[in-house]
Amino acid sequence: MYTLELKVNGRAYKVEVKATTTLLQVLREKLGITGPKVGCETGDCGACSVLVNGKLVKACITNALTVHGKEVLTVEGLGRPGAFHPLQLAFHEHYAAQCGFCTPGMLMAAKALLDENPKPTRDEVREALSGNLCRCTGYVKIVDAIMAAAGEKA
Amino acid sequence: MSGGEFYRASSVQEALDLLAKFGAKAHVLAGGTDIMVKVNRRQLAPEVLVYIGECGLNYIKDMGDKVVIGGATPFAEILRSPVVKQKLPLLAEAVAHIGTPAIRNVGTIGGNLVTASPAADSSVPLLALGASVKLASKSGERVVPLESFFKGPGETVRKPDELLVEVIIPVPDKDVKFAYHKIGRRKAGTLSVVAGAVVFKAEGAAPRGTAIARDQACYFEKCTQARIVLNAVAPTPLLAKKASALLEGSALDAELIAKIAKTAAEETSPIDDVRASAWYRRQASEGLVKSLLERIVA
Repeated sequence: MYTLELKVNGRAYKVEVKATTTLLQVLREKLGITGPKVGCETGDCGACSVLVNGKLVKACITNALTVHGKEVLTVEGLGRPGAFHPLQLAFHEHYAAQCGFCTPGMLMAAKALLDENPKPTRDEVREALSGNLCRCTGYVKIVDAIMAAAGEKA
Repeated sequence: MSGGEFYRASSVQEALDLLAKFGAKAHVLAGGTDIMVKVNRRQLAPEVLVYIGECGLNYIKDMGDKVVIGGATPFAEILRSPVVKQKLPLLAEAVAHIGTPAIRNVGTIGGNLVTASPAADSSVPLLALGASVKLASKSGERVVPLESFFKGPGETVRKPDELLVEVIIPVPDKDVKFAYHKIGRRKAGTLSVVAGAVVFKAEGAAPRGTAIARDQACYFEKCTQARIVLNAVAPTPLLAKKASALLEGSALDAELIAKIAKTAAEETSPIDDVRASAWYRRQASEGLVKSLLERIVA
């Protein structure tokens, strides 16, 4: 076992992990942070998307020990009841969640996009979400919400 | 899956020491986009992981007539690089079609090559540009042209104690013609059914916009430095040597385009898999090479 030190949503943690433990297992099973979802476990669906030092990654195929000393942001750190992030408010406003399973990952992919490109085009939003699958196929509303959060008239 | 060991190399030297010590037991971990998928699928239980993501192999160097990319450089950085955009537009175009943003943020150029999937996305532009890889071990370094690097699915000439430290890409002349296209089952985040690139240097371009019927035109009087590459249609990414030889030194017209495309398809040895049948891949290879050449002459 190895000791992993990381920050999640601003809070420091120290956990014991194996050489092949994933970041997703650490978040969900060790820390009880269940916003990132277990979907495909092959890096295809994006339900586990989180930011590591501001960069979008798929937590299911991120070896936990490669995150040692880094900062992780999950949907729980994006906003809270009473203090929601503009993206979360826009998702609510635009009915951008159906079953909700993909939503945490969609929000984190959107956050990564807007951090780098605050005024994206619709095509840039679609490209930024290309690694996040919505099984309900509610993509149009999700793009609408992100455009709205970016200050565009969707 | 328990009992595996994890080592974080803080320098290339340390990585090479670890590979020398553990040999074939060691799996080199960079972005993990291939290794961790295999771990999750219970296809791999590595005895030793040597993590090289933070050992100083993340760089893009402009050396004038070549660009040198560190083995652990993620695709997102290659895509963002002004040097790559300006000097290696073919590589930039192909990298934009690799995986999805989160995959490109961590997946590395060296990892993509060493994993040696017949569908390796970066292999297509790199083979077409005549790239080489530098392999380092405790006992020294060697530079291997990419066309002699792949041995079969998942197999390369890399020895267990060697690390792919650099990809060396010659900068093509400014007037070199190129085209790239990837055929997948969907637009984004997909593996190749077949992807291809065509690169050549043209001399004596026929006048454009003349009344000459397109199918009678000689588009270029002489083509040199010809390289035609396809992936996912052979045990390794394929430099189509016979098709490239047809183009080399030749005048390019519609008849030759058809012949080159047919020859390239004959050089493939595809298999049936979940993404496409062998029959489809061969047809698609011919159509792809034809359309790439037509795109250049259009």
